[in-house]
Parts: sequence; C-alpha cells; structure tokens
Amino acid sequence: MSDDFRARARAWLEANAPHRAASDEEAEADTRGRAVVLAEQKAFQARLFDAGYAGITWPKEYGGQGLGSAEQIIWSQESRDYDLPTGAFFIGISMPGNTLVELGTEEQKKRYLPPMLRGEEIWCQLFSEPGAGSDVASLQTSAVRDGDEWVLNGQKVWTSGAQFSDYGAILARTDPTKPKHNGISMFIVDMHAPGVTVRPLKVATGHSPFNEVFFDNVRIPADALIGEENKGWDAAVVMLRHERIAIGTMSGSRTSPLAYDSLRDLAAGLGRTSDQGVRRDLAELYALGRATQLFATVLREEAQAGRMPGARGSVAKLAGSELGRFAGNVAADVLGDQLAGFDAAEFAAVTTAIIAAPGGAIAGGTSDIQRNIIGERVLGLAKDPGVDRATPFNQLRVGTQRQN
Amino acid sequence: MALILTEEEQALADSVRKFVADRSPLTSLRHLITSGEPYDADVWKQMSAQLGLAGLAIPEEYGGVGAGRSALSIALTELGAGLVASPLLAGVLAAEVLLRLGDEAAKTELLPRIAGGELIATLAVASDAGGEVTASGTGAGSGDAVALTGSVSPVLNGAEAGVLLVPARGPDGGTVIYLVNGDADGLTRTRLTAVDHSRSLARLELAGTPGRPLAGDSAAALSAAADLANLALASESAGAMKACLDMTSAYARIRVAFGQPIGAFQAVKHKLADMEKSWELGNAAVRDAARAGDADPGRFGVAASVARVLLAGAYAEAAVDTVQLHGGIGFTWEHDAHLYYKNGLSNKVLLGGPGEQLDRLADSLGI
Repeated sequence: MSDDFRARARAWLEANAPHRAASDEEAEADTRGRAVVLAEQKAFQARLFDAGYAGITWPKEYGGQGLGSAEQIIWSQESRDYDLPTGAFFIGISMPGNTLVELGTEEQKKRYLPPMLRGEEIWCQLFSEPGAGSDVASLQTSAVRDGDEWVLNGQKVWTSGAQFSDYGAILARTDPTKPKHNGISMFIVDMHAPGVTVRPLKVATGHSPFNEVFFDNVRIPADALIGEENKGWDAAVVMLRHERIAIGTMSGSRTSPLAYDSLRDLAAGLGRTSDQGVRRDLAELYALGRATQLFATVLREEAQAGRMPGARGSVAKLAGSELGRFAGNVAADVLGDQLAGFDAAEFAAVTTAIIAAPGGAIAGGTSDIQRNIIGERVLGLAKDPGVDRATPFNQLRVGTQRQN
Repeated sequence: MALILTEEEQALADSVRKFVADRSPLTSLRHLITSGEPYDADVWKQMSAQLGLAGLAIPEEYGGVGAGRSALSIALTELGAGLVASPLLAGVLAAEVLLRLGDEAAKTELLPRIAGGELIATLAVASDAGGEVTASGTGAGSGDAVALTGSVSPVLNGAEAGVLLVPARGPDGGTVIYLVNGDADGLTRTRLTAVDHSRSLARLELAGTPGRPLAGDSAAALSAAADLANLALASESAGAMKACLDMTSAYARIRVAFGQPIGAFQAVKHKLADMEKSWELGNAAVRDAARAGDADPGRFGVAASVARVLLAGAYAEAAVDTVQLHGGIGFTWEHDAHLYYKNGLSNKVLLGGPGEQLDRLADSLGI
C-alpha cells in the first residue's frame, strides 16, 4: 500500500512537477509579476488536488485523502527534489487549515477546507501587531459584538501573503476586562471585506515579503468564530504549534544560497576551498544541516509511531534558525571582503540571504521565545513569573512606551 | 529503516541502563579513583558474559552476538551515560581492525576470546604527535615476527591489554599492523594520568619488541576503525550529554534562589534549552550513523563523522554548563558534574580532535 503510494507519487511528480532550480519566489514575483506567478501556482495546486496529493492526512469529507502520516512522509521524501509551485498555499494549509481541521465547526470545515486545498481560496494568518510580537497575547486589535456581527478594528503586521489572500485567521480582543490570555477570540475574516487595507512592509533586504494589514470597522458574521469566544488563545496555541512544526520540518532547499551545496560551490568558484578555516566551516555547516534534517525525520517518525512532537517542534524551529545564522556566517567567511563591496551580479542572491539570515530567528516566534517554550514544556522548568497573567488587560501596560 | 529505536532496541537500551544503575553507578567510578584500578573486573565480566556487550558487534561465526552497529551504539550510549569504566571501546576497535584485515588465522584465534571478554585487546593508534613505531622489516608474507621500535601514546587500555594491534612503518615506507603480546620482550607500558577517571590510557614504548605481521589492507582497516571510533565516541557522548541535561534540569527545578526555582530565570532556562537542542541534533546524527553502519556502509564514514563533530563540541560545552548551572556545589569533588566535565574534555580529543575531524569530514565530502 505504502509502496504503491510511493510509486504513484513518484510517477506523478516526474510527469507534472519541475525539478528544483535556484528559484526565489520573491525575486520571481518581482520580475515576472505576482499575478502570473499566482495563476500558475493556482493551476498547479488544482492539479495536485485532483491527483490526490493535497491534504494527504486530512479527512476525506473535507477534501483530504484520509491517509496516515506514513503517506505524508513518503510524499515529503519524494517531492523533496522538486520545486513545487505551491508557495502561496503553504501558510494557509499548514496553519489556519490544520487549525480548522482541529477546531472548526462542521459548517466551517465543509465550506472552507476543500477550496483551500484546491488552491481556489488563499489564506493568511493575522496574529502579530506593532505592539505585540513575542508577547502576542497583549494584542490590541478589538472585536466588539454588534447584533449578529462583530466589528473589527486594529492593525496587524508581518502578514505573509495578505496581498493575495481571500481569507485570514485573525486574533482579536473580545473582552478587555479579563486578563490578557482570557479575553481573546479567533475569527475568520474576509480579506476582501470593506475596511480591510493591505500595505507591503519593506524589510532589511529591501524586499517586501510581508504586509501590514489595517482593519477599520470591518464587520464579520457571528459564525466566523473559530473555537469558543474568549478561548482564542487556546486556538492560537494550536496554530502556533502547527506553525513551528511546519517551519521546523520544512526540508531545506538544497539550492537556497545559504545551503551547504551552494556555499561549497561558491567557495570552490572563488578558490577558497584551500583555506583550512573555510574547509572546516563548510564541513561543520554540512554536519549541522544534516543533523537538523535528521531531527525533523526523528520527529516525523515519532509522530507516525503515535508520539506527537508537541513542544519539541520548538527545538526544530530553534535549530533551523540557528543553522540559518551559522550559514550566514559561513557565507560571509567564504565571500571575505567581497561581501563589503562587489560588482558581480552572482553575489547578489547570497548577500541578500546573509542579510536575511537574522530574520529567521525572529519570524514564527523568536529563538528566545522558543528557548522559553523548550525550557518550560520540554524540560519542565518553572514558568516566567508572568506579572501580567492575572491583571485585567485594560489595566496593563503594553506595546512600546516612552519614559517621560 | 527508521532512525528511532525498534522495540527490540529499546529493550536492549533498558537492560543496559538497568545494569548500569544496579551494577555500575557513579559511586563505583569513585571507588576506582581511590583504588587506582582501571575498571571493575567483576562488572566487566558481567558486561561481557551476561549482557554479551564485548561481542555485540562481532559476527556469530567468531563467537560474538552479531547484533550490528545500531545495537553497539545503543549499548555505548547507556554505558556513556553512566560513565562506566571498561575496556569495551578498546576491544571494539581492535575487533574492527581484525575483521577488516581479514587475516583468518588471527580472527579465529583472537575474536572469540575478545567476544567473550576474557582477552583485552586494543588498537595502538594516536595522533601524529603521539609518536611513531617502525618495523625492522615488513615480515609480510612470511608471517615471521619482526622487531618493532618506537613509542605511541595515549593508547586505550594499553597497560591492561593482553594483545595490542600496533601499526608500524616498515623499511619500504608502508604501514603494516602487527600483533604484539602484552607481555612481549622490550615492551614498556606506562599508565598515564588520565583526565577522565573512566578511561585507562597508557604510553607504549617498544624496543626491538617482537610483532607478528597481520595480512590485509592496513590503511583500509585503520580508516574503518577511525569511523567506528567516531560512532562509538559520539554514542557515549550522546548518552553522557543526556545525563548532564537531565541532572541539570532536575536541579533547576528544585533549587530556589531569589524566591523562585532557578529554572524560571532565562539565564538558566535558555542555556538548558540550547543544551536540549544540541543533544537532539547530536542524537539524531548518532542514530543515522548507527543505521548507516548496518544498512548503508557507503555512507557510514561521513555519517559517523557528522555525529562525532557535533557531539565532541556539544557534550564538552554541556558538561561545562552543567558545572556552571549547579553553581558552587557543581564545582565540588563530591558532586558528579566534574566527572562528566572531564569525560567531555577527554572524549573531545581522543582518537582525533575537532580540527582533525573537520578536516577528515571535509576530505570525505570532497570539499
């Protein structure tokens, strides 16, 4: 059965998917136009769905394949060397999608999951705010009940894909008189609704891979609630767990500019592989990259054996971010003073990747927050005293406050 | 084959762990420090006779268990966690060289006795700075003993070994491995002051010492032994590092300062989280190397190198953090932290330190 699935998956990929090349989605969108890239991705995702390779572990009644994690692992293995044009759907399916599978109502699951899997509707995740990053439970976006609707006001930030999303899963404060974790709810919001404004957010690399999203009296129906009212933090924990696992178990592309293979080739091209320091750096990068990959495999195997990764997803996330930063240092070492100034176009991608490397240790929960989670939930250490845990939200100091 | 342990492997891990807890707790290592004995002969007898650990990776036709490298790695991980002093690693490396050389007479004569634990064998290799042995002739083909001269240090269980496999350079420049008896004429064995209380190390001096040449490809055999040494030391280090992590986490949960358990402070919590992360990566790499050793020999060298490179640094750092996070008590003789700290220092440099390992990995990767 598994062998059969592997053979079918392999044949389908060979016939339908492009092999990996050094493609950078953001750069591609810049040059070929977002709309063209998106149309191609939607067409591909539909074929993937129709062939039976989308939502492998999701129940059949919601468009999934109803298979086990064994098939999911096989799919990951077989698709690793292909450049699947499915980037636009990654966040929606792995985060809001998986959360809806766990917590959604029957109506929500039937309405939203199949078109999400087929790439007909794209989703984003709206958690972070300018005043609420690591401490996301201090968020200030509010949802106030008005008859059969909720009225949403506030600002979200670091939202990937908001500019082309149809729906979003949003956290908003529904009871400011309760302590911060107890007055939050999660909603489905229509990104095309009146009052939603999306603006690109330019980051340190000069690119704009994220957005800021503004909500100005946006009305959402009462049945758009995911999970229970004021239990949005529980739903957020579910989604963040899926996020860390998705990020942590992503098989790193061998063609990314900071991958071992790329840096070894770069070093060889620059005649730097005779330098003992560079050789040792590259060997260590290989070892760390390999072990990070192997740990992701261990987590998948344990899940298959019925032992869920839980908070150990944070170990994978931390390891991946640390690997990225180490790779950035190795790349800088390989380039030497050509990093300070260069005119060769070939160095542009690796330089951008070096500049982007620290971002990986911030996105999806900073490395320091991951260390808190690992310490408290894997090693059983005492929680932070949390002076703000019992205070009503409307009496707390949040965000960035200037001292007078 | 999955990286995670099978039920059978988990049972092996459990039985070795129970053996360590019952028969060789850390208090027995302290007895050895006092007595000066290199290892507890009774414990060794039980390890080899009852648990079959001495012959775990030796094929059944030579009197071993033939359980393979994954099993060996699992046993060494548990023994490493308990810092069990024994001549197991020395014997494992000697047996590997004998198996790779393929000198049938030597295999038949020695392997069953190594597997049974009654013969302590070792491989006399060291880094370039550790000395060199030269042979008066090669003796190859004739099987006649030649005279060996030179020195080599540090050698695992060199002072206790009944037989020593000594690589020596012949007059033609080629290296041949010679079989030297522990009581051979002209062999002086001096026990070294080992930083790690769980290792017994010696300097060998050979002055016209007779050695019997072993047939086979010496370079290939030594390279195979170096790969296996990487898996073995990485496995021991993974076990010991987990012991440090568990010990220090447990202390951070119960030690109170400034009104709360010290584990609540991020200065403590984050160090432990990093330790957990490095252990998970190292452990995954050990499992991969162990599997490759049984099922994918072509990949074994690189996989074992990856595991060793990661754990050499990670364990040494975890051990010193174990001392640090325990504070004053962790720096006392009575506390176990220093036993791990010393083991970590020693494991990092034995049979090729970090720089040498990275260079070797870079070579294997074709950088």
